[in-house]
Amino acid sequence: MHKSWMKRQSRLGYLFIGPNMIGVLLFFIIPAVYSFYLMFTDYKFMSPETHFVGLDNIRRMMNDDLFGVALRNTFVFLLAVPISMGLAFIVAVALNKSVYWQKTLRALYFMPYITSGVAIAFVWMLLFQPTSGPINGFLRGLGITNPPGWLSTTEWSMYAIDIIWIWFMLGYNMIIYLAALQEIPEELVEAAKIDGARPWQTIRQVIWPLVSPTTFLLLITGLIMTIKNFGIIQAITQGGPGNSTTVLSLFIYQNAFRYYEMGYAAAISWALFAIIMVFTVLQWIGQKRWVHY
Amino acid sequence: MRIRKGLTGLIVGALMLGLLAGCVGKNETNGGDNGGGAAAGKVKLTMWGAVPPENGPQEVVDTWNADHPDIQVEYVRFVNDDDGNLKLDTALSTGQNVDLYVNYTLTNLDKRIKGGTALDLGEFTDYNIDEKMGEDAASWKVDGKYYGMPTKKNAAFFALNMKALDQAGLSVPTAWTWDEAREYALKLKNTGFKYGLVQHTASYVDPLDSVLVKNGYVKADGTSNLDDPLVTKWLETLNGMMKEDATTPPLGEQLTSKMPVENMFLGGESAMINIGEWLIRTSNNMTEFPRDWKIAFAPVPRLVAQEADMVKSGGLGDFIAINSKSKNKEAAWEFLKWYADGGMMPMAAGGRLPSSNAVDQQTAIDHLLGDHADSYDKESLEFVLYGDKTPTFVRSIAQEVVDLRAQEYEKFFLGNQTAEVTVQNMVKRHNDWLKQNQ
Repeated sequence: MHKSWMKRQSRLGYLFIGPNMIGVLLFFIIPAVYSFYLMFTDYKFMSPETHFVGLDNIRRMMNDDLFGVALRNTFVFLLAVPISMGLAFIVAVALNKSVYWQKTLRALYFMPYITSGVAIAFVWMLLFQPTSGPINGFLRGLGITNPPGWLSTTEWSMYAIDIIWIWFMLGYNMIIYLAALQEIPEELVEAAKIDGARPWQTIRQVIWPLVSPTTFLLLITGLIMTIKNFGIIQAITQGGPGNSTTVLSLFIYQNAFRYYEMGYAAAISWALFAIIMVFTVLQWIGQKRWVHY
Repeated sequence: MRIRKGLTGLIVGALMLGLLAGCVGKNETNGGDNGGGAAAGKVKLTMWGAVPPENGPQEVVDTWNADHPDIQVEYVRFVNDDDGNLKLDTALSTGQNVDLYVNYTLTNLDKRIKGGTALDLGEFTDYNIDEKMGEDAASWKVDGKYYGMPTKKNAAFFALNMKALDQAGLSVPTAWTWDEAREYALKLKNTGFKYGLVQHTASYVDPLDSVLVKNGYVKADGTSNLDDPLVTKWLETLNGMMKEDATTPPLGEQLTSKMPVENMFLGGESAMINIGEWLIRTSNNMTEFPRDWKIAFAPVPRLVAQEADMVKSGGLGDFIAINSKSKNKEAAWEFLKWYADGGMMPMAAGGRLPSSNAVDQQTAIDHLLGDHADSYDKESLEFVLYGDKTPTFVRSIAQEVVDLRAQEYEKFFLGNQTAEVTVQNMVKRHNDWLKQNQ
């Protein structure tokens, strides 16, 4: 009797997750499997014929200079993640203690995260304007005669995007760090103080290790989110000037939805998937060294 | 227990069916609407276009609908960018409700023809597109057939500040080279402008296409012709204007600030602008852009030495196709003929001049200029619109080629590579692309 009750329970469970599973199946698993198949075809959206081309798309990717450029840009883009997390940690520590305007400041830091990407794009384009923008105006005020051209040069454009992305993610990272900081027992900090630790030592040797699970979480999610993101770049530079801000995700978007080269885009997507996978696995292995639960 | 198991399966099955039916059902009803409507003698057509309804299309369909209770047209707007075109292409290839749709580039049209969603208009014999639209229509032919009808006259021209021209003692050119245009820009700038010339990034490459349409994008041996000496000539002319003369904005700055070039011209920051008929939409708006000077017009300059060798950007536009899967092809055809032969007139105020010779030129110009006709130099306007007999082209190369060229010349104008390397890179990438798309 008990066994059949269990059976019934689990059947009921399946029934409840059923609708959700259908969604996952229809909109995630089937498309993923289909894109794996597309990788080996020359499927072009709107084109009547599709042929099986074997590894042609992968070979093409390997010989495509643009793929290399996009890969390099993606890694430069990823620099924003640790930098943003570092800054967020400092801000969170500062805002965790009672400071003036604490709530207002927290809200202000979080604001970018809930602002529309297009609005962000336009504001930053104005700020980065090479000749009349306020950022270069400020730099000139400091006595720098030749401030960078930011988005209008191929050398600086990717770093300019990094700066925007750091600013964008800062608020989110900060909120998560704040939550982690609130969890730290006050006694530990006090004990450190009694032992004569200076504030910097307390932060480095007590607080930082205690929030390491949060750091780990933010690092993994941040890297994945950044590697997948293209909206902000599409809105600001469309991958230019030249192709200095074409990251892999944008490269996929362009091939798929601008040139309708679905087969090729599928191949690049799976390359991107492999990269994310490797990153994540490496971090899981590496976490044992520095994450303390 | 067995029964229960069956029941669970049934419920899950029913849920799934419901979900799937939900997806399919919508199409079914749409199709049904059309079919049922036709049987009752009433047809509903859907037309997709990229012009906002309030800029003319709504008035066009309202006029038609009032006169044709049996054929009602609904206008759906898509934005003419990558996302918008993808939306239209998806609608077309999944059989949603699209009876007529407007193509803005040959590149897009080509995909739609290959996808089997554009009707060969050869099956209708009561309207001669070549006769009605003139020679320029032929550049829209694909494999010698019309898969739609061009309805609008494209006009590319330089608009000039007449007051500045008079001050500098310059006349309105009726044919000129880029070297002359560069001199004009310098002289006009010296009458007190920030820039002599501003351009839309879309018009930037028109001179290149002029050259390559004439000389071929591809050489006889099947390799890229992007190393035509005139390509280098173009690169160096514009680069000199940006860096030596400072008569045109540096490209980097223009790109990153999405420079509002029309406003700069109308606001008196630049003496000339390389643009097309859509300028009039903005220049007629005297409340936002008040000016006390007339606008004169000149044909676009040429890179080639001989006037006779010039082919300019232009031709016809707004190529309207009938969906080959439409259930109401006849009705769509009736509407299309009416639209092209003057039905589209409410759109002229936005710069869309009808290309059909059934429409009187004067009426079209009157619509175009509205209440502000005396703020334009009418003689030069009529010349660039109707008088200039230079042959025209419609850009037909693939998006990939447009993009790869842009990426390379952007690097040149930003000072990252020399003109020589730029041309080499363009040629190499174009050749790679040609190989890929044999």
